[in-house]
Amino acid sequence: MDYLIQQSLNALSFGAEYALIALGLAIVFSIMGLVNFAHGEVIAFGGYSMVIMGTLLTNNPLVLMVGVVVACVFASVALERVAFRTVRGADLTTGLLTAFGVSIILQNLFLLFGSPRPIAATQFIFLDQTIALGSIRISSLQVYETLTTILAILALMFFLRRTTLGMAMRAAALDFEMVRLCGVRANRVIAGAFAISGLLAGLACIFIMARRGSVQPHMGFDPVLVAFVACVIGGFGSLPGAVLGGFLLGITEVAVLILLPQSAGGLAHAVVFALVALVLIWRPDGILSPAREKGDKI
Amino acid sequence: MKLLALNSAQRQGLLGSALLSLVILAIVGAYYLWGESYQARMLYAVFVNLLVVVGLQVFTGNANITSFSHAAFMGISAYVAAICVTPMAMKVISLPDAPWGLNAFELSAVSSALLALLITGLLGLATGLFMARLTGVGVTIVSIAILVIVHSIFLYRTDIFKGNQALFGIPKIFDLPQMTVLVIVAIFFARMFRESAVGLKLRASADDEVGARAMGVDVFRVRLIAWVIGTLFFAAAGIAYAFYLGTISARPFYFNFVFLTVSMLILGGLRSVTGAVFGTLLISIGLELVRWLETGPNIGGIKFPEVLGLSGLLLGVVIVAVMAFMPNGIMGNREIEELVKRKR
Repeated sequence: MDYLIQQSLNALSFGAEYALIALGLAIVFSIMGLVNFAHGEVIAFGGYSMVIMGTLLTNNPLVLMVGVVVACVFASVALERVAFRTVRGADLTTGLLTAFGVSIILQNLFLLFGSPRPIAATQFIFLDQTIALGSIRISSLQVYETLTTILAILALMFFLRRTTLGMAMRAAALDFEMVRLCGVRANRVIAGAFAISGLLAGLACIFIMARRGSVQPHMGFDPVLVAFVACVIGGFGSLPGAVLGGFLLGITEVAVLILLPQSAGGLAHAVVFALVALVLIWRPDGILSPAREKGDKI
Repeated sequence: MKLLALNSAQRQGLLGSALLSLVILAIVGAYYLWGESYQARMLYAVFVNLLVVVGLQVFTGNANITSFSHAAFMGISAYVAAICVTPMAMKVISLPDAPWGLNAFELSAVSSALLALLITGLLGLATGLFMARLTGVGVTIVSIAILVIVHSIFLYRTDIFKGNQALFGIPKIFDLPQMTVLVIVAIFFARMFRESAVGLKLRASADDEVGARAMGVDVFRVRLIAWVIGTLFFAAAGIAYAFYLGTISARPFYFNFVFLTVSMLILGGLRSVTGAVFGTLLISIGLELVRWLETGPNIGGIKFPEVLGLSGLLLGVVIVAVMAFMPNGIMGNREIEELVKRKR
């Protein structure tokens, strides 16, 4: 029983991290149809700026956390301005490949100006402590992570349903032209989407840093890969779908890790991906794909 | 007469492929006249990439759906061909604990290659059955999933694939002349596919899926056909890779190679075979220049990872710049013969 509770907590926190990243991808995709491959590099940028701020300014973790989130928001909005504005309105493949190129550029810049080896940044490690609740031992990081994700989702829901910009963004996901005709500035809506995406990346970055304690050029790549799969499973562009897909993937991953023999640990990702790919045979557009006919205005 | 059975686009396709073959032959000829022997290896590598990029054009270009799994198929085929063709005596050393008697048989080069094509083709069919059902983004992400799955299997089953270590002792079967022939055949094949009925339907469905369906195009079927044909190209590239280098490892069949080949295709232009060929040649030349600059005496003492960073940077910049300033690549929708003779 204890074991079961412990593993479900694991699944929940894995899922929370994936959901956090997947939401950041989905919100950009739902509005401008961009598959943001560079999201992982935004996370890595947060990590690197944390290293810089940690050595130059302060070691106070709270200040650093704010700094990381601000850096990620800045990076995300700046990428939109520099790279993605030119391909706005272009077809899916163009946007996807641009983001792919941006991701390669950033990774190699980190490689050139940082180091291919991990750089230690351990200010957030204190988040990861073991708490004993009776006979269950849980990591405090998992609790923080799950709670933060739930809070972020609630805040996002509030923002999207109750504020003008949020409603404009939801409307833009359905019909961008119409929103513009109603007098909402396109740039503001899209910058808003990227800012939220960067905010979520910043939160994810804090937890990833707390777990790893070091930065590396490719650190954002693997989690974002999983988050992409989560998005596809949930239905690309659907925000509830992204959350659902993220948690589903977390649960599958923990289940696979438990069921697979220890020696096959390296195959965990492979098995997870293969399993979830099977979901796509059942629903090629993902579980919660928006009901949209081909030929509808997108 | 056979030629009469072809329509004018297909006759043009033959002309275009012939012109491209001339370009390839000119390069090979220049090497034999003036080249130094170390350049043979470089040229061979360029041709392997060319094979992959032309294969990418078949699905990614014609269907306008980006897929990243080609390195996985190439790897599978390279390993199958390598394991089959390596002599038994060698395999006892290189694969001492291979299961299922994999180190207790050997096949001729031709049957190894055919087996590699068959296995990769069947895997292509199996994956294609649901790849063709997915819509735009789904294909890309699932193709990445395939790449990750295959790579982790390569790394995990070290008893068969040796993981990141080299699987050695593969006899050298191909050399530059055979490879040149293979590349030329591939160019003809890809171009004729583009101009075939299936290719035309596929391009139509890429431009306007609803319209194509309304005209009676079975989008699932044409995508599946293109996907499987594309895999066969990657399989051929894998075989050519294994049959020349003598050793293979899992490392080259992963994201770096995907970045490289995809940027080659983008630079040239997704939509034409000529673009695929030119893009490959241009990026190959560009990368050699970057490497030459980096190892130049003025900037000496740069360590290896930084070299990787700079050439990677170049690839990224090429992709972003091409997408921003000429989204259709250098060639766009044009093929080589349209450059040579002006529009009628």
